[in-house]
Amino acid sequence: MILDVAPLADGILKGDLRSISRGITIIEDQNTYIAGRDLIRRVYPHTGKAKIIGITGPPGVGKSTIIGNLAKILTDQGYKVGVVAIDASSPFSKGSFLGNRIRMQDKLHNSGIYMRSLSARGASGGLTSCIWDTIHILDAAGFDRIIVETVGAGQADVDILEVAHTVLVVLAPGLGDQIQAVKAGMMEIGNIFVVNKMDREGSYFAVRDIEESLMLTPQGEWKSPVIGLESLKVEGYDALVDAMEKHVEFVSRSQSVAKERFMAEIRAALRYDLSYRISKLTDSGLQNLTNLEMKMEKHVDPYTVAEEIAGKVLDTKDS
Amino acid sequence: MFSEKPVKILLAKPGIDGHDRGMFVLAKAFRDAGMDVLYAGLLPKPEEIVETAINEDVDVVALSLLNGAHLVAFKKVSDLMKSKGIDDIAIVGGGTIPDEDKTKLEKLGITGNYGPGTPLKTIIEHIQSRAEEARKKKIGES
Repeated sequence: MILDVAPLADGILKGDLRSISRGITIIEDQNTYIAGRDLIRRVYPHTGKAKIIGITGPPGVGKSTIIGNLAKILTDQGYKVGVVAIDASSPFSKGSFLGNRIRMQDKLHNSGIYMRSLSARGASGGLTSCIWDTIHILDAAGFDRIIVETVGAGQADVDILEVAHTVLVVLAPGLGDQIQAVKAGMMEIGNIFVVNKMDREGSYFAVRDIEESLMLTPQGEWKSPVIGLESLKVEGYDALVDAMEKHVEFVSRSQSVAKERFMAEIRAALRYDLSYRISKLTDSGLQNLTNLEMKMEKHVDPYTVAEEIAGKVLDTKDS
Repeated sequence: MFSEKPVKILLAKPGIDGHDRGMFVLAKAFRDAGMDVLYAGLLPKPEEIVETAINEDVDVVALSLLNGAHLVAFKKVSDLMKSKGIDDIAIVGGGTIPDEDKTKLEKLGITGNYGPGTPLKTIIEHIQSRAEEARKKKIGES
């Protein structure tokens, strides 16, 4: 059965939560690649309005808690806020425990904030392969601020740079040498730096450390601010929201950012398209494999067999 | 590279019941069985559970109570889902549930209803079969 995505696309454009949820399920499931692709084609003309805010940082610094607070504040300001949180998946079972929701759910209920947890499903870089499509669906549904939380594995979470308009790097006091350690990766990707848990000992040293290491990093036209937060008391958020708005305005003026993001979208789609074709060709090639027993008896090496199959499937493709 | 989306399950205790050790045992077992697992945290309202189930588009909602309120609280969740016209998210139950209540719950479509000592394998297999039903309703049989 080919899934009819037209009613789903209509539902998404109207902002219907169940349609949005179902749409994300379809693009998440690689078995429904065709339906997912058609769905994105239908909603894409209605995208481009949302600003994507990426939140990254080492584990345990309070990323999820900050998102809960931030989503609430932005909602109160009149924005329609969507949250996408990505969790690590087990390399053995492929399963995952999607735990980000627990830390923000008090703020979510009855607030109009849509939140979705996604498993990284083995993708490196701190995001998941369907992140662009998830953002497109939320964007088309009218969410104008979309917050994306990365896995939080530290230095490796750099893919957010391509996806987000504004990247918040969250750190906390007491990380000490870790700040040194993240310098190479994270200090380069942050547009705004946040030190959470300002009530803790050493918080002002942490702010100073980051400011100093930023001075050593070559910066462009945008000077990344360092903002202290005390999230349990919801303190310091005015400065954060202010800095975010300034950065959004800064990015909106930049033509190169829009172009880079479009390139990244194409790259993700092309990868997905090619891997879909490869998996199709692999399946059909193996199905038409002949003389398996003979090849086994003759002890033919697998590359020779693979080459033979590849020759055939690519031939039939051309004709 | 090309893989099926794993079973997505929401674990929740829809009442005043803080006994969540069992939930963590199950959460880990389900993850190790390859599922995407969500836990609703302590003391969620039935409305919150349903809202989360919709937003996350889970395949299965697994409810647990050890306080004896299962007939009321599980039913509330099931009623809310029905009132929203949701028939493609399966509900399973568990906890300290007397045998005579199990048939009542089954009539509401809440299956499983396993008690203490049930082998994890039994629970996992039940959830996988219910999830498969739900998934077929969601995206159609291919």
